[in-house]
Amino acid sequence: MKPSLKQAFAAMDAGLLGCAAWLVPCSRRADWLREWRAELWHVRQERAPMEQLSWQAEREIAFFCLGAFQDATCLSEPRWKLATLLTTLRGSAAQCLLMLFGLLAASYGIASLSSGVRAERMITSRLQNPGLILIQYADCDSTTIDPKQYLVWKNRRHSFFDGFAFYRVTDESVQEENETGSAPRAPWKVAQASSNLFVLLGLPVRFATVEADSALPQIILSKSFWKIEFGADPHIAGRVVRIGQRRARVAGVLAEDAWNLPGKIGAWLVQPDSALAVSGNGFIVAHLNSAGREKMWAPVMQISEYDEDEGPRFFGYNVDQWQPGSWGIFWLGIAFAVISLPAITSVSLGEYSMNPPRTSLGRRLYRWSFFSAKIALLLPIVYFSTLDLAYFRTAQSSQVSSSIQMISAFVLFLIGLRWALSDHRQRCPVCLRRVEHPVEVGLASRTFLAWNGTEMMCMGGHTLLHIPSLPTSWFDAQRWLYLDSSWEFLFVGSGVG
Amino acid sequence: MVSEAKLSHTAAMILQALDAGFVYGFSIMEMTGLPSGTVYPAMRRLERDELILSKWEKQSIADAELRPPRKYYKLTPAGRATLQASRRRYPLLERLIPSEPLTVEEAGSR
Repeated sequence: MKPSLKQAFAAMDAGLLGCAAWLVPCSRRADWLREWRAELWHVRQERAPMEQLSWQAEREIAFFCLGAFQDATCLSEPRWKLATLLTTLRGSAAQCLLMLFGLLAASYGIASLSSGVRAERMITSRLQNPGLILIQYADCDSTTIDPKQYLVWKNRRHSFFDGFAFYRVTDESVQEENETGSAPRAPWKVAQASSNLFVLLGLPVRFATVEADSALPQIILSKSFWKIEFGADPHIAGRVVRIGQRRARVAGVLAEDAWNLPGKIGAWLVQPDSALAVSGNGFIVAHLNSAGREKMWAPVMQISEYDEDEGPRFFGYNVDQWQPGSWGIFWLGIAFAVISLPAITSVSLGEYSMNPPRTSLGRRLYRWSFFSAKIALLLPIVYFSTLDLAYFRTAQSSQVSSSIQMISAFVLFLIGLRWALSDHRQRCPVCLRRVEHPVEVGLASRTFLAWNGTEMMCMGGHTLLHIPSLPTSWFDAQRWLYLDSSWEFLFVGSGVG
Repeated sequence: MVSEAKLSHTAAMILQALDAGFVYGFSIMEMTGLPSGTVYPAMRRLERDELILSKWEKQSIADAELRPPRKYYKLTPAGRATLQASRRRYPLLERLIPSEPLTVEEAGSR
């Protein structure tokens, strides 16, 4: 071997040992390193004594040095405890539940971050006036409606509604009138709202008593906007502000989180209907009268007009009942999944045994509790995952998101149930640890003479699981073989038991 | 000390190798075919459980042979008793690693 290459390999091996030494406690490091260096010297003498290049020898020496990491980890007490803990957890019921809790946390976290879920939660979290519905087009995914439609509805008599309100959200900068010369402030979401919006919603706005100036429209600030832009100035009421090119007088501040409709709005500019009609689309909120509330029991209702021949053009989403991840939609998907389960897998828990089982009643209860815990954790995981999927792209509720939620609830829970059953069938009835080390036993060509299939063992030494590869009349389902104490010596040192 | 019943097959092989005269890590690796990542940690545990003892070779001996000093291991009385029990539990152990007592000096040159 070339001297330079040999030195490079020697340096690499020494470097590996040096790195591994950092895992060893300081008090033992010098002695440990001295032993490994001495051993390495002998290994090198044994494996690569000559000057010829031998990649095989260098590979073996490198593998020898890599073993130092395991040795060093073994000496590190906390790591050793961690390794022992991980060995104990591997395949156990606790590991399974921890994994499910992790999934639950992840799905909940994603759902909490989803803007669509947050927006919809706002709709339903602080209901002030029962009977409110949010109207959307039935034939498209747009959440906003032409203001002319609002005016048509508002000026017409209705059987089931007693009020309509409209608001449109735009980005505009709001600043005090005396700041005109300074740089414009950052834009906020400003809602141009019909004058009856707050009355219809039943929002508790305390309008300030200001000097009457009918020429100026009123603006209501959200509490966060008031704090950030006006420094929570207690004398803000009555001042004139400029919204883009328009002037308005501050009429009051809306309480924190009082707004429960779509849009994170900083200020509401109350305008007459004539001013609203000339601009773009917005949200229409309607209030059901008593007859309408009796009729509307579902989360979503179809809204038809008397002169419509081609079916309803609008859907009304009941703000009282309808919410993201509606339980009705969710449970419907779950029910379909439960009904469909026998069609895709066996619902047996595979608890047949070859010899009398060694499990007590308490153990059996423990096993069933574990299975129930898995199902109980699956439900919220599926629920939050359906929210993640349904509101991944849409920031607003729609028929599409409802459909996605129901279909995903069905599919995810079906997969989850299948996994829960299959996982349960492969857990030792004694210790609930998953059986491991599958071994093919027998020959398929001798099916009628002897069983053939897969044999798996519990690493705690409690059971062997026999799964036939071809179900026969005399061996059609998996069976457990409970091991007696004569097997125990094989499992000492496995770290489980 | 670990009870006899808790000795794994790997640990029993290492005890048997030590008893057969393979008294340092690399020779045990060679004899048992186990990798370094298994042998050395197992020997740490056996030493912790007082089944084996380690002792550094004298520097003068190593210097005379122009090599670094080695760390040698030997069975304690408890380790020997455990090995006896393990031989009953694992009858093939002696066939895998036949006992042939060697002195430390002989083992060093092995």
